[in-house]
Amino acid sequence: MNFPTLNLVAHLIIWLVKISWYLYYSYWILNWWVIYDPNALTQLLHLICLFLNVRPVGIQFENNCEIGVFSKLTNAYCLVAIGGSENFYSVFESELADVIPVVKTSIGGTRIIGRLCVGNKNGLLLPHTTTDQELQHLRNCLPDQVVVQRIDERLSALGNCIACNDHVALTHPDLDKATEELIADVLGVEVFRQTIAGNILVGSYCAFSNRGGLVHPHTSIEDLDELSTLLQVPLVAGTVNRGSEVIAAGMTVNDWTAFCGSDTTATELSVIESVFKLRESQPAAIVDDMRKSLIDSYV
Amino acid sequence: MRLEKCWFCSSTVYPGHGIQFVRNDAKVFRFCRSKCHKNFKMKRNPRKVKWTKAYRCLHGKDMTQDSTFEFERKRNRPERYDRNVTEQTLKAIPLITKIRHERQKKHITNRQKQGKTKERERDAKELEQDIQMLPKKDAILSTQKTKVVVKVSQQQTEENLMEE
Repeated sequence: MNFPTLNLVAHLIIWLVKISWYLYYSYWILNWWVIYDPNALTQLLHLICLFLNVRPVGIQFENNCEIGVFSKLTNAYCLVAIGGSENFYSVFESELADVIPVVKTSIGGTRIIGRLCVGNKNGLLLPHTTTDQELQHLRNCLPDQVVVQRIDERLSALGNCIACNDHVALTHPDLDKATEELIADVLGVEVFRQTIAGNILVGSYCAFSNRGGLVHPHTSIEDLDELSTLLQVPLVAGTVNRGSEVIAAGMTVNDWTAFCGSDTTATELSVIESVFKLRESQPAAIVDDMRKSLIDSYV
Repeated sequence: MRLEKCWFCSSTVYPGHGIQFVRNDAKVFRFCRSKCHKNFKMKRNPRKVKWTKAYRCLHGKDMTQDSTFEFERKRNRPERYDRNVTEQTLKAIPLITKIRHERQKKHITNRQKQGKTKERERDAKELEQDIQMLPKKDAILSTQKTKVVVKVSQQQTEENLMEE
């Protein structure tokens, strides 16, 4: 056998082992071990996942798969709700601790922070129900480039009304003019009033980053094309958490990581990985791609 | 915890007091006590109800525009915590309240000064015109003869005595 074929076969075997390991073990282990002995075993599992280059990670907040409700992930920071156990927070911390600040907070005394606030690397917008102490806490924990602003808006669940990345934002059609100007000013984005598959709550039915986006499964192809041209990112209509249409509630995403609920099937995970281009952002994957061009022949 | 202002009378609502009403358009109305709440339910306009701050400010009874009011404002864009700034703010708060109260008192005394001068003028005019209206004994007192001192020479009396 000549060396290129052997290389290919070796790659194939490794790929098969990876898939089987992930499918049979991680889903099972995550659901079972998490209940019995949280920190040590999840850390071990994350180490294994890191080694195997498996992305994205499936997690739960107090036995609930709606991750996007209890967390907010951007390129510059991550907000996490205060839960009874530290599992949820530790998952985010293990992934992101060195790169961006992970901040535990509440908004207006509630835990549903992902749906109440909206932000990107330039700023964070909070509803009027945010208390002064929470506002101060966020301002102290977040880096100085992030502008923290509380806005007076009738529609106070900003996470459901506004979806944004670092360049573009989609908003609820009934949002105030003053709020729209504030969004453009604080987040530094271009604002478009849009609906997604006939739903006015754009913030909950789509999730997009600077690399790609996932929208409500019933979005028509024309709508998909229109949105794609507006946002300048590739979009895909799909589901999360075993067929849930509320995309943004089931997952959070930034440019290099995504977190999904543990109910998310492997198919959904592969769709998410491909549309948000997550596999390419891992260093090992990049090296794999480049190896063929770098290495002329094996001696 | 936040010290809010009553929507009707503008007094501070402390924690554990009052009622909050949320209307269908998501506007929140806070009341300090049932008096304000009941007035609101009767659809009274606080700008027309004499004892409220809204009325008093509208009709110029209380001080409205002053630089001391700018210190106590709701801020939506916070600043990072700085220990020195916090310490100095805490020291400054009682000073600012004292100055504000003094200015408010001054405003009211200034407002009442014009009334005092007018009152004096009126009193002087009344005294001039209507002195006859006063009762009789007071009138006699006013026209009573005053004592006049007359100097009598000592020589004349001595001559009279000598003749007898």
